[in-house]
Amino acid sequence: MKNTCRFFTRYLFVLLTFLAFPAFCPAEVQTRVHSWEEAVKAARGQTVDWYMWGGSPAVNQYVNGYLATELKKEYGITLRQIPVKDIAEVVSKLVVEKQAGKDSDGSVDLMWINGENFRTCKQQELLYGPFADKLPNQHLVDWANPSVKNDFGTPVEGLESPWGSAQMVMIHDSARTLEPPRSIEALLAWIKTNPGRFTYPAPPDFTGSAFVRHIFYHAAGSVDTWQGEYSQATFTKAAEATYTILRDLKKSLWRQGETYPESPVRMNALFADGEIDFSFSYHQGEASRNILDGLFPTTVRTFVFDEGTIGNTHFVAIPYNAKDTAAAMVVANFLLSPAAQLHKASPQVWGDFPAIAAARLPSPWQENFATLPRGPATLDDAELQAHQLPEPPSKILVELEKGWIEHVLKNR
Amino acid sequence: MRPQRLFLLLSLLFTVLLPFLPLVLWSISEKWFYPDLLPQAFGPRAWSYVFGTAGDQLVFGLYISFTLALVTTLVSLVLGIPAGRALGLYDFAGKKLISLLLILPIIVPPLSVAMGLHLWFIRLGLAETFIGVVLVHLIFCLPYTIFVLWGVFTDYNPEFEEQARSLGASPVRVLLQVTLPMILPGITVAALFSFLLSWSQYLSTLIIGGGKMLTLPILLFSLMDSGDRPVAAAVSLVFILPAMLALLASAHNLGRHGLQGVR
Repeated sequence: MKNTCRFFTRYLFVLLTFLAFPAFCPAEVQTRVHSWEEAVKAARGQTVDWYMWGGSPAVNQYVNGYLATELKKEYGITLRQIPVKDIAEVVSKLVVEKQAGKDSDGSVDLMWINGENFRTCKQQELLYGPFADKLPNQHLVDWANPSVKNDFGTPVEGLESPWGSAQMVMIHDSARTLEPPRSIEALLAWIKTNPGRFTYPAPPDFTGSAFVRHIFYHAAGSVDTWQGEYSQATFTKAAEATYTILRDLKKSLWRQGETYPESPVRMNALFADGEIDFSFSYHQGEASRNILDGLFPTTVRTFVFDEGTIGNTHFVAIPYNAKDTAAAMVVANFLLSPAAQLHKASPQVWGDFPAIAAARLPSPWQENFATLPRGPATLDDAELQAHQLPEPPSKILVELEKGWIEHVLKNR
Repeated sequence: MRPQRLFLLLSLLFTVLLPFLPLVLWSISEKWFYPDLLPQAFGPRAWSYVFGTAGDQLVFGLYISFTLALVTTLVSLVLGIPAGRALGLYDFAGKKLISLLLILPIIVPPLSVAMGLHLWFIRLGLAETFIGVVLVHLIFCLPYTIFVLWGVFTDYNPEFEEQARSLGASPVRVLLQVTLPMILPGITVAALFSFLLSWSQYLSTLIIGGGKMLTLPILLFSLMDSGDRPVAAAVSLVFILPAMLALLASAHNLGRHGLQGVR
């Protein structure tokens, strides 16, 4: 009896230790990255579970329609879109899976990320690869472009593959505002002479935070300073100036700045309802898309500031414990093919900007991209590219978001 | 029908159905700008998206949501009826503690419950499985089921069962012809609670189901963010309809007074 009892206590103890500390015995998995030929061969018959922000019917349609059909036809891959509200939910899921020691057979095969989420993944070693350099279509990407090489200041190093790019544009209704202010300076003056007719989504909303960064560049008087080494004192000074400008602006905002829209979607709704006179989007084609969908009046147009607006690239990445890595690589490569990029760029489909550089394409394709119909509100590539500013490192982004809440929202 | 009753019925229908009117209008609108009271243009864009592109996802989501809610409801009733009976009819040591433990998952934020369980569910192989999601739904549904049935059994008189037994009824017959008919309205309320709670779970399904269980709320919430009001309205209607049907189907039992005339 005593023996059985002891046996059970010991058994229980072992069981508990095992359950509590499985991290003590993980085999250090060194993932080997497939070569391209291996990947294509292994990919046939695999299913790629692609986790992505599912908030845009246009994107969902492109993914579930065009991409899924083409991938099935050409490579025998089944593409399964998993729409999520915020990809950060998926990143934290991966963090927990890593803690729990689930190092293989993970359910996420591919995810659509950039910026802060990529930085977290890279820091926590949650990514498979580097795989981007193995993809044949990678030579179409201009890796010298600072917004491709660095994702919000974090070097990409082949851990994610570009899918598209975006640039912030200001949105106005040409029927209401004939001459929009074409610089930050002019915009600030316009807001003060037209109180209650402007607002921005409250950071940490992505788009609202981008607006704050434009004010930051304006207050600092420089963009390039932040791409290299800079001192904390320089940053603090520029940040303080940013908060001062935004605090002064508060009483001239919509509802005297007592409240802010929580997302660009709400801001667009306010704009469409005529409550405010400007909206802005971190997507150069969104205004045209909204006109097409009947969400905006047909007189809506976009513009960029003379000093430029911020742009970035969005990517796809493969988690370290993904089940179908080979097929995920093939999908990432297909996303970069001229045909898929052209289809995606059409305003009828999505109107997303290509991640590949037109100059690197064979001439018939260059022609196709050049003659692509753009929506009535979308600026042309040349105009946009001539006015493009890089994102500051995500460290600055986070600091500014925190500082905004502390100094502008709480008014300290 | 007397005029007063007709008026009552109409005003009830009005207050229940009116909030859905904007949803229906949005889902069939093509253009609708301030300050017009009605959409400027109607069109099938939202519904063609729902039945076209998202059709497969939604049908599958409907199926997953429904089976999850059904299994969760059944299990919570099987566990909840005996528990409610014990808590309602008997006094025993630690009863207060048990009721505190039962209500705990409702008080603690669902995010921390689900996050905390996720790690364990991965280790136990329950993450991303049907059973795992049912278990996590039960955490939120079971307290409600038990509390409803606890209340039902507090008013319950077990002497009817003894009487039936003394008249020669078998235990099964007592259960089917005495106990169940008496607590049926309570069971209906508990089942409805459980079904609707499971039906509307978002966070716990997302974390434990990890994308393998693409329920309707997951599809709906990801679209809510889009600002595409017509599409969001159409998906909302698809989401509400089954819940409405569940409510209507159980309304028959709710109206009856199981304990009426007993005392």
